[in-house]
Amino acid sequence: MPPVPEKDPIVSKSYAAYYVIAMMILMVTLFWALWDESFGQRPWKAFQHAWKDRYSAFLNSARSKSSQSEKEVEQDSQYQQLKQAYKDAYETATPRRDELQKQISDLSAKILAVQNVFTDRRAYVNALTYELETETSASGRKSKQQDIDDYKKKKATVEFPDGHRQQYNFQELEEAYNSLKAERTKISAELGEVLKPVTEASNKTSAYVSDHMVDLTPTQIDGLKKKAADWDAQIVQINVPEANIVDRCESCHMNAREPIRVTAALMTPKGEKRPDEYAQAFTSHPEPGLLKTHDPEKFGCSPCHQGNGRATTSVEKAHGNYEHWLWPLFPKQNAEAGCQTCHAADMHLAVGDVGAHISNGKFLFRQRGCMGCHRYEGYDKEPEDLTSIAQQMKLFDQQKIDNSKTAADLMKQADAASSNDEANRLNQEAVALRVANSKIDGRIQQLDFQTHSLMQDMKKIGPNLKDVRLKLNRNWIPAWLKKPTDFRPTTKMPNFRLTEHQIQTMSAYLWQSGFTDALPKQKPGNAEHGKQLFETRGCLACHSVGEGDQMQGGTFAANLSRVGEKANYDYLVRWIHNARERTRPYCPYEKKDIGPEDYAKKGLPYQFDLEHSRCPNDGHELQVQNMTVMPSLRLSEEDAQDIASYLMTEKKEEPSAYAQASYMDDPELKEEGKTWIRHYGCAGCHEISGFEDEGRIGTELTYEGSKPIERLDFALFTNVAERGGKNAEPITDPEDLGRLPEGPAKGPWYDHKGFFEHKLAEPNVYDKGKVKSETEALRMPNLHLSKLEIQDLTTFLMGSEESSLPESYQYKPGDARRDIQEGWWIVRKYNCVGCHQFTPDQSTVLMGMKHYQDAQEQLPPKLLTEGARVDPEWLRKFLSNPALSTTDSNRNGVRPYLQVRMPTFSFSDNELRKLVRFFQALSQQPMPYIPEQVPVLSTKETDMARSLFSSSAAPCLKCHATGDPQHDRIATAPNFLLARERLKPDWAERWILDPQAISPGTSMPSGLFRRENNHWVFAGPTPASFQGYDKDQSRLLVDYIFQLTPEEQRRVAASRGRSQASVQPRNKQKQTGIRASAAGSGGSR
Amino acid sequence: MDWRQLWDICSAPDNVPIVGLIPLLIFYIYLAWKQAKANDELIGELETNPAMAKTHHRKSWPFRPGWQKEIHVWPFLLRVEFLAAMIVTIILMVWSITLNAPLEEPANPNLTMNPAKAPWYFLGLQEMLVYFDPWIAGVVMPTLIIVGLMAIPYIDTNPLGSGYYTWKQRKFSIGTFLFGFIVLWIAMIIIGTFIRGPGWQWFWPGQTWDHNRLIYEVNRDLPDLFGITSNLGKAIFGGIVVGGFYAIGGFIMHALFRRYNPKDYKRMSLLQYSIMMFFVLSMVALPAKMLLRLAWHIKYVWITPWFNV
Repeated sequence: MPPVPEKDPIVSKSYAAYYVIAMMILMVTLFWALWDESFGQRPWKAFQHAWKDRYSAFLNSARSKSSQSEKEVEQDSQYQQLKQAYKDAYETATPRRDELQKQISDLSAKILAVQNVFTDRRAYVNALTYELETETSASGRKSKQQDIDDYKKKKATVEFPDGHRQQYNFQELEEAYNSLKAERTKISAELGEVLKPVTEASNKTSAYVSDHMVDLTPTQIDGLKKKAADWDAQIVQINVPEANIVDRCESCHMNAREPIRVTAALMTPKGEKRPDEYAQAFTSHPEPGLLKTHDPEKFGCSPCHQGNGRATTSVEKAHGNYEHWLWPLFPKQNAEAGCQTCHAADMHLAVGDVGAHISNGKFLFRQRGCMGCHRYEGYDKEPEDLTSIAQQMKLFDQQKIDNSKTAADLMKQADAASSNDEANRLNQEAVALRVANSKIDGRIQQLDFQTHSLMQDMKKIGPNLKDVRLKLNRNWIPAWLKKPTDFRPTTKMPNFRLTEHQIQTMSAYLWQSGFTDALPKQKPGNAEHGKQLFETRGCLACHSVGEGDQMQGGTFAANLSRVGEKANYDYLVRWIHNARERTRPYCPYEKKDIGPEDYAKKGLPYQFDLEHSRCPNDGHELQVQNMTVMPSLRLSEEDAQDIASYLMTEKKEEPSAYAQASYMDDPELKEEGKTWIRHYGCAGCHEISGFEDEGRIGTELTYEGSKPIERLDFALFTNVAERGGKNAEPITDPEDLGRLPEGPAKGPWYDHKGFFEHKLAEPNVYDKGKVKSETEALRMPNLHLSKLEIQDLTTFLMGSEESSLPESYQYKPGDARRDIQEGWWIVRKYNCVGCHQFTPDQSTVLMGMKHYQDAQEQLPPKLLTEGARVDPEWLRKFLSNPALSTTDSNRNGVRPYLQVRMPTFSFSDNELRKLVRFFQALSQQPMPYIPEQVPVLSTKETDMARSLFSSSAAPCLKCHATGDPQHDRIATAPNFLLARERLKPDWAERWILDPQAISPGTSMPSGLFRRENNHWVFAGPTPASFQGYDKDQSRLLVDYIFQLTPEEQRRVAASRGRSQASVQPRNKQKQTGIRASAAGSGGSR
Repeated sequence: MDWRQLWDICSAPDNVPIVGLIPLLIFYIYLAWKQAKANDELIGELETNPAMAKTHHRKSWPFRPGWQKEIHVWPFLLRVEFLAAMIVTIILMVWSITLNAPLEEPANPNLTMNPAKAPWYFLGLQEMLVYFDPWIAGVVMPTLIIVGLMAIPYIDTNPLGSGYYTWKQRKFSIGTFLFGFIVLWIAMIIIGTFIRGPGWQWFWPGQTWDHNRLIYEVNRDLPDLFGITSNLGKAIFGGIVVGGFYAIGGFIMHALFRRYNPKDYKRMSLLQYSIMMFFVLSMVALPAKMLLRLAWHIKYVWITPWFNV
């Protein structure tokens, strides 16, 4: 027990020291809390302070630069004139203006004096009137009325500004007030009239300055300066209630929408080398154009960029870079993922540089066959559409039966009806039902057409493997399956990491299930001529030859460098001649390949093509084409043989060098092979016997980006990915490591981006360290993607989110823009962009090739304004038959002079419709097209136009084809005879006036016409007959061209030809002969 | 040793109170123990010295002439309380500035968080769910706890030890309290916070909480071990075992109580005594069941169609 103290400790002990200390700590805590409340929790205040300083400083320097350039503009004589005009107007107006202003101010003072008295008295009268109105007793009403009348009679004194006083009763007061006001209005109007020329002149001068300055004018900058100087720290917020968007991003990103372009470097304080956190926050939005189409007041920031728009307490919170925010800011490299959240229905999103990544990601998803295993809304819709059409058809059939039954029943009731009216009513109902049935018949017919189209549109990324026996070197198949990139580094076929045994069984199945039909024997061709054709006909827009640096051509289709090692010559000829030609048609109803025996049973000829696409057994729609996008180039049999012969020479080793694979005929391996083919989902990309209805084996990816991170299986790397650090990177294979867009992971990568990138770089990375059997291991093959491709695909997947925005924010337009949207899917599907330019910023494969560097006119036409150029009906005909002839198809219909060939894609009706609409919509043309009437020219006008047409200053027929084979060989432009049916006259006139603006780089000369007295006149020497002609001469020429007859053209050409005939070269006998026959049949169309 | 994992758990705003609870609990038990010890010594002294006992006041100190015999609430009590209030205010303010409310993402009905944990003060109840079926752990047990706490004033017949710390005079009460509070409540919270990881699996502190961890553990019911298959047999067998626990346990407890607390025993009526025995045995049943489960993988002892124990 401790010693007992002398004094009572409870009473005597002092707590002063404890109190002082506690008090001090409490005060410190209090101040801390206050500071935290106003700054700690509001870091954006510090941002805004820094912004004020830096932005003002920047504006000051911008101001001096701007006034300098303003001065330069003001030096201009035109400006001086305007300025002088302004001064003159000002001086003329001044005396009258001063006078009027004086009158107005006098009147205003008077009005004020009257008004003070009048409004007071009027208020009193109004109050009394109200009492009168609500008074119920008659006597009360009478006395109230008396009060009002008395009050109105009483006189009131008004003291005017000049000192004199006047007495008015209520009515006089009101009149005086109204008349004074009327007078002031009149004088004000007069003043406006007097000042009008002054204001106009002043507006003109300032408009001149702002129109002639590239940057902001000093006045505009002064406005910005004032805004910055007057700025008080405050939250800047975009609030869109209907979409539940509350974005406070601009509380820190103060310059995002400023009209002046600000970079991080400009916002960096002097003396610092690297832009700090503030400087980076104060940059302008890099794509102001995007903000114009996506007004932030409607879209906010977070719908595109994601992040936590409401958070203001720290950068991490606002950017959503913390565990509990499910939509963190898209990183810079994947910023375009935001486009996908609303533009999922688009295939092509690129405008200039913007959207290149996401567009490419979308394209790759289809092109690399991702959609073969993974369902994604909008991709590869045809099989789903076919199923839904089949269901609809069934429903309609049922409905028809029901309708007939009901109709019969109604008729019966009508017979038994008690009254005539009743019978009539029932009868009418029955008639209506029969009409409804007829409508249903129409619908069913349409669905039938749809089925036909959809069967035609269904494509597979990989080749048809039912034909393996016909087309391939048997021994090559196992070598290929081992590792496709070893044979062809750029192939789309991914590496499935198959074991030797799997390869043997799978190839055995493929080999034994393939067709064994006989192929027609082909004569050997001329390889040299084949090479020439291959390089000029346009094959290289999709295919490439040569490996590594030597590679030449497009990446859309296979590299053909070693095709000679694997292909069968006879098959290759057939393929080149028409890749769509199928060995046997397939009936999806019977689920079998139909052979000649089926046709023979019904006594039908063994003929199947797009016109004969019904199953002989059951009448269902057949698959009559190979499901490839490869078109027919309409080559002659011999040309196809030549190209095939050339391709067969493309090899590194002899086909016989491959090891014998006799096991492929072993029937015992077949069944196991089938299970492996099913396991790996080969049928997603290839047509394989027995797998026609196979479903997708992968997970659906439509909303993969918003899948909870817990649902993405990082397997044994979960912790490593969460923490980063030394061993953060699980991939060890150097080749796969090189695919990661941002190199090996150093920090944490436990997010969607990290998962997708690692998965795409090495699809089986999450199997690492796991003990799994062959069937359990991850199946996704290695697609040997490049860094850029992975970045693009990752961007695409990150953006694949279930959006929380209202449906109306999804870009699903109902107007012509939808035609553009749908058209791009087809344009990219068939790689139209390999040859044609659709937008000025897009380049084609052919444009980049050496072959065309010096022969620009040999490039396929640019389609920048195709919709405005051509008649949609003509376009439809052209797209379905680019030869524009049924008898002579080995040529180009419009531009016979081009060596590169517009192929026949056998578009379905559906796709034709979409493509035509696409072109029209792309050029803002209304549908349906109503042709402009071209006036019939008089004989005199025709003569005048002819003199222009054949003028030596603009010899049209020198370059344009005429149908004369001699001439057409050197022609570099289409035949005029096509114009009437093909072109739109208004476009033709624009074209003649300025072809460079429509198709940059065209060989059509510019400046044929010049502007004179508000009319277009011929720039060359005007023929004498034009004396006194005061209309547009260009228009006359167009009208003439649209009325040109073959005879007229021949006449003009003949008159020209006489002087030119001797210089025409003679060669290429074969093709000339063909054209001669076309010309003989009345011009080429 | 995964220090990072340990830090992640300890620094989570949800868990900070529990981290703080451990030292505070130790400190206050120590403080109470110290005061009780001093008091017990004083009591001993007073019992041997009746003269001193007459003049003694304010328990912890012997009498001193000149000291006030009684002191006022103001200022002597309130000044201490006010100081305490200031300190608590400081702690709360600093806490609220430095640690924000642990808000998480919007609830997703398609995705259950793993581990899904109750608020810290309910973790003891949640831990009980491992050992009993939800009816027992979620309804019966909490009811018993509340009823038991309500019954304490009626079964506590010991008039001593009121208003001062002592151990000697209230050994049984204090012992029962420490057992019930620290072992049955706090220890379970600590297990729930620091030990239970993904899948509610047992992770030692510092072991990585691996979501992919697989363990082999088969729990069997006690009747199965004895080869009883029929439902009726299981119900009867379980009833016998549980009844046996209360009977044998009651017998042992009765012997111990009579031996060490004869005075209390004499003061208590049969009703008071049997109620106390029931609650004490039920308290002991919880760790007993935990032991059965953790050490011998026994899931249930008594299986009936309506409840399982």
